[in-house]
Amino acid sequence: MGDGLDLFAAASAEGAWTVGEVTRRARAVLEAGLPPLWVRGEVSGFKRWQSGHWYFGLRDRSAQIRCVMFAKENRRLPTEPADGMQVFVFGRPTVWEEKGEFRLTVTELLSTEGGGLWQLALEKAKAALARDGLLDPRRKRPLPPYPERIAVITSPDAAALRDIMAVVGRRWPVAELIVLPTRVQGDGAELEITRAVAALGAIAGLDVAIVGRGGGSKEDLWTFNSERVARAIAAAPVPVISAVGHETDVTLCDLVADHRAATPSAAAAAATPDRTEVMEGLTHLDVRLGRAVAARITSGTQRLDRAQDRASDAMALRLERYDHRIAALSGRLDALSPLKILARGYALARDDAGRVLRRVEQFAPGLGFRLRVSDGDIAARVRES
Amino acid sequence: MARTPTFAEQLERLEEIVRRLESQDVDLDQSLALFEEGIERMRAIRERLTAAEAKVRQVLGDDVDA
Repeated sequence: MGDGLDLFAAASAEGAWTVGEVTRRARAVLEAGLPPLWVRGEVSGFKRWQSGHWYFGLRDRSAQIRCVMFAKENRRLPTEPADGMQVFVFGRPTVWEEKGEFRLTVTELLSTEGGGLWQLALEKAKAALARDGLLDPRRKRPLPPYPERIAVITSPDAAALRDIMAVVGRRWPVAELIVLPTRVQGDGAELEITRAVAALGAIAGLDVAIVGRGGGSKEDLWTFNSERVARAIAAAPVPVISAVGHETDVTLCDLVADHRAATPSAAAAAATPDRTEVMEGLTHLDVRLGRAVAARITSGTQRLDRAQDRASDAMALRLERYDHRIAALSGRLDALSPLKILARGYALARDDAGRVLRRVEQFAPGLGFRLRVSDGDIAARVRES
Repeated sequence: MARTPTFAEQLERLEEIVRRLESQDVDLDQSLALFEEGIERMRAIRERLTAAEAKVRQVLGDDVDA
């Protein structure tokens, strides 16, 4: 048959057209007369078919057009439009011959309503996560105070990674950084990040993970609004810090992560203690350690003091000589080992079993005991009287 | 299975030692033993802090059997 534009050739002997002929002709006329164009209207009767194609009506107060958006086109969109939503579509007007139906073959669909489809997709995903309890703030785990292994999921050649390395290197070089490189935007980013987060469980001794990227446009950050990525983060075996460079928008990843940082640098700082501060804390502990042991020895020797009367002359002499030095020891003991303490003149009295004798009643008249001084043991005996 | 204590574990043990010494309810023998252990741990922690230099390792895909 071929050329549907040849009107007279298409006509039958009775002068009537076949259905196929007229629809084909209508299609040709329509497609020639109406170029692909933008159409504005309200979505109604939306249906997604098994094949993935979308079918819906676009209407205004007075008219309606059937629309189809094939799977290969609608795949790029974050979610389906809802009935009643005001949208702009770009499509080619045509006639669907099998149904004799006038329709638009849509290749682009935008919604300006309430932030558009992206916002709608975000709200839907958020609602789904909330239903599963994943947005509950009580789920958030505390970050480990002294991490030794930090995983970083980000682009391997972007500033975000360099920033994280610099901050960790400066604050807490004790930690080892394990980088899991992924794309952070565009095709494949969602899958790669999801996989990397799922792989965290295989890293032995991992303490915390940072997932993120530097700043970008709203579209660039979209991967971090993926429900899939968010669910992976919620299921991560270690606390996760989200670090998506942005100022105002909170991504889904931020909501499910255990900690949200505004930039990769901030995430690195949140993940690590500051070495200088830890050192200061150690010094403080050191002082306490010295004071505690000095106080302990003081009380121990004071008890021994009271045993002087009944103890041997040698021991009494020793205790007397060094009593006054005890106070001076406080706070300076951090470098001292017990042997050095003995070198300062303290002595330990022990019975034959090696138990330290601390109380007067332990020194029965005539009791033999051993006195430990800095360079050895002395045999001693309590006077009989 | 013996393994190196984590930094957090080392620090925790050190804090515990100081707390026990401060509580004064250990005898002198124990005090001295604790003190000695405390000094040893303090030294180990300080060494760990000062010797450290950040290490970075990149892993790809399934190569995470660290």
